[in-house]
Amino acid sequence: MLEVIREHAQGKIAKIILALITVPFALWGVDSYFKQGGGGPVVAKVGEQEIHQNEFSRTLKEQQDRMRTSLGKSYDPAMMDSPEIRKSVLDGLVNQQILLAEAKQAGLAVSDAQLAKLIAGIEAFHVNGKFSHERYEAVLRQQNMTIGMFEHRVRQDVLMQMAQEGVSRNAFVPGSVADGMIRTLEQQREIGQAVIQIEQFMPQVKIEASAIKDYYEKHQDEFKLPEQARLEYIVLSAENLAAQVTVSDEEIAAYYKEHARQFGQAEERQASHILIGVAENASATEKAAAMDKARKVLQEVKKTPDNFAQLAKQYSQDSGSASQGGDLGYFGHGAMVKPFEDAVFKMNAGEISDLVQSNFGYHIIKLTAIKPAKLRSLQEAHAEIVQELKKEKGGKKFAENAENFGNLVYEQGDSLAPAAKQLGLKVEQSGWVSRMASDTPLLSNPKLLQAVFTEEVLKNKRNTEAVEVRPNTLVAARLLEYKPASIKPLEEVSSALSQRLQRQQASVLAVKWGKDALAQLQQGNTPAALNWTPSQLVNRTKPPAGLTPEVLMAAFKAKVDKLPTYSGVENNQGGYTLVRLSKLVDPGVQDEARKKAYIQQFSSMLEREYAAAYLASLKQNTKISISKEALEKSER
Amino acid sequence: MAYDLEEQEQIDAIKAWWKQNGNTVLLSVAVFVAIVSGMQGWRYYQHQQTTQAAGLYENLQGAAEKHDAKGVREIAGQLMDRFPRTAYSPRAALQAAKSNYEAGDFKSAKAQLQWVMEQTKSEEIRDTARLQMAGVLLDEKNFTEALKLLESKHGSGFDALYNDLRGDVLLASGKSAEARASYKLALEKMDMASGYRSLVQLKLDGLGG
Repeated sequence: MLEVIREHAQGKIAKIILALITVPFALWGVDSYFKQGGGGPVVAKVGEQEIHQNEFSRTLKEQQDRMRTSLGKSYDPAMMDSPEIRKSVLDGLVNQQILLAEAKQAGLAVSDAQLAKLIAGIEAFHVNGKFSHERYEAVLRQQNMTIGMFEHRVRQDVLMQMAQEGVSRNAFVPGSVADGMIRTLEQQREIGQAVIQIEQFMPQVKIEASAIKDYYEKHQDEFKLPEQARLEYIVLSAENLAAQVTVSDEEIAAYYKEHARQFGQAEERQASHILIGVAENASATEKAAAMDKARKVLQEVKKTPDNFAQLAKQYSQDSGSASQGGDLGYFGHGAMVKPFEDAVFKMNAGEISDLVQSNFGYHIIKLTAIKPAKLRSLQEAHAEIVQELKKEKGGKKFAENAENFGNLVYEQGDSLAPAAKQLGLKVEQSGWVSRMASDTPLLSNPKLLQAVFTEEVLKNKRNTEAVEVRPNTLVAARLLEYKPASIKPLEEVSSALSQRLQRQQASVLAVKWGKDALAQLQQGNTPAALNWTPSQLVNRTKPPAGLTPEVLMAAFKAKVDKLPTYSGVENNQGGYTLVRLSKLVDPGVQDEARKKAYIQQFSSMLEREYAAAYLASLKQNTKISISKEALEKSER
Repeated sequence: MAYDLEEQEQIDAIKAWWKQNGNTVLLSVAVFVAIVSGMQGWRYYQHQQTTQAAGLYENLQGAAEKHDAKGVREIAGQLMDRFPRTAYSPRAALQAAKSNYEAGDFKSAKAQLQWVMEQTKSEEIRDTARLQMAGVLLDEKNFTEALKLLESKHGSGFDALYNDLRGDVLLASGKSAEARASYKLALEKMDMASGYRSLVQLKLDGLGG
């Protein structure tokens, strides 16, 4: 039967059937049939939406790049690829999907006009305070983004914001609650403290030799010494090579001639000005008025040129220089706007210019002094040139020999001597180094140490490969002597250990004594031998000297039904501190500005909590599955 | 074009089938087309509504940026009257409620929050409005009503905030022990990384831990 339809595709029935198939395409578009995925396997499913590996990898990489930029040297790539980081990045993507789905489901939208307005407002795309399409394209190109991608992202960001912040931003803290919190924050309390030191309990403690031995045997981990190695090594560095090369007088002379500009100092001029400002986009009348005024000032200046500074103070609208009598100090080419610079560098010292127009308005300029261009002689520049040439040659020589160095230490792997001999290097010896560190800065390089502590080097006594420990510096090392991991002998640690145990036990006694004293105080008794500090008023926000944060916290956490009241904390010297709270001082009337600042702060904290609750609540109602593999598998 | 016997038979079969079912098929097609065009029409209408509401909402944000409280309230009112079923209206109403609350007009704030609680399709927005309503009631010292709202059913994501405010109401009505328990529950339900913890802790400390 179907054959007939195909053969008679012009027929009536066939037309209807074809129409039935085409209708959905016409109405819903084709794209729902060819849904575009992010590519790669699915790493998470959020409701109906899938998050793909490619998107996850890209976001992770962006996050890592950001961290690298902000952390600089302390950036640790391994940490940034840990399951925790991967989880937080994936969680972020899941949250985005949830908010986007909610925005879409609720029917929120961003119009093209709104999007255009938003993007035009982004300062990074501005040139001279206006949106520039060329700049827009250039910035995006730098970020490796197409306009389509960027606009898609902005649109999504706005949608997410509307969905979440559109709700949470409207949270407010009830006034009575805010008042209560401010009162608590500003309340002052009168406190005293009595510190029970562990020293007074030390004589009571006797540590037996058997106790030391017992501890030593039970805590062997604490006394571990890592495996160590002593190395011999050779260094090929541009720096060392530079020290060895010689530089001829001819070379120096040629360099001086070639880089003449580098040894000169360009001309600088000092000028003062009076500015009658007028905006570039001001109306013609405004411009005319400004010019009129400038002319009048100019006449006055010409009449009494010696009063320039005085007149600048009076008339100049360049607030920075006006107070200095218009003085702008010394400047070279390129420091000032073009018309200003052109005028200044045509004038003679002492001369006063006519009106000079720039985009700031009208300037009257007085040239005060000229520092002519200066050239350093060959003699003066000699040392600098020698150094520069040596550096150049050293770098070149390093580049020539680097590969050879690597080959030699690899091919003749049972000794460093051949490489040292052929390249004229000295074989040096190190102190003890461990997997983690070395006293010699050159060897304290993770990559090199990793290369040393391998079977190849330790057991087979081969050279390490050449490792670039810093730019233009290669090191190769081999083993001299090896000490396996060990445990410090008891005799060596015994006395320090004895002291530690003594303190520990004294601390137990001190804390117990303190707690007993506290119990007595709380029953209304007065235990002897407590050394109270005089009472002082403290507030929560500014802890005074001599009080630890723990003491302050205890004072502000205490129950206050009945005063004085006592509490106690273990202090960080191992002793115990008793805290007495004797008085509460409520704050007076708040000044409005201060109160407003507090409320602002509370509100923004509350808004964030509302935003979190909004998201958490949506999350509860969405089915989310995350691939475990995606979290554990490293990208590298 | 001539058909052979077999083909002729097939064509006859189709013709017979059409005679019997043709009307049904045409009717189904007509119904289908009617439904689809109806849906499209409805969609177009909705789109129009959304677009207009979005425009108003954008104006509302502009007014809010300029701290124009009157503008915020007016535009929110228009959105609530003309486009009550869009997602923009409850958001606008919440914004107007905040603005009214800050101006000391608790009555209007409550009316707007009530409107959101009744009109919104979103559970999360309803939970938010109910919390805010309880906050206003607390300021009015209407502790019973406030507690009633805070003890009604809400999404578990809002547990921490509900218990926090419940602690505030209990404290204000002189029930310190219960307030303390409620604050502690709020801390338990709150994310460990949340900055808001410090405020709940502050209130708890004020109560003597």
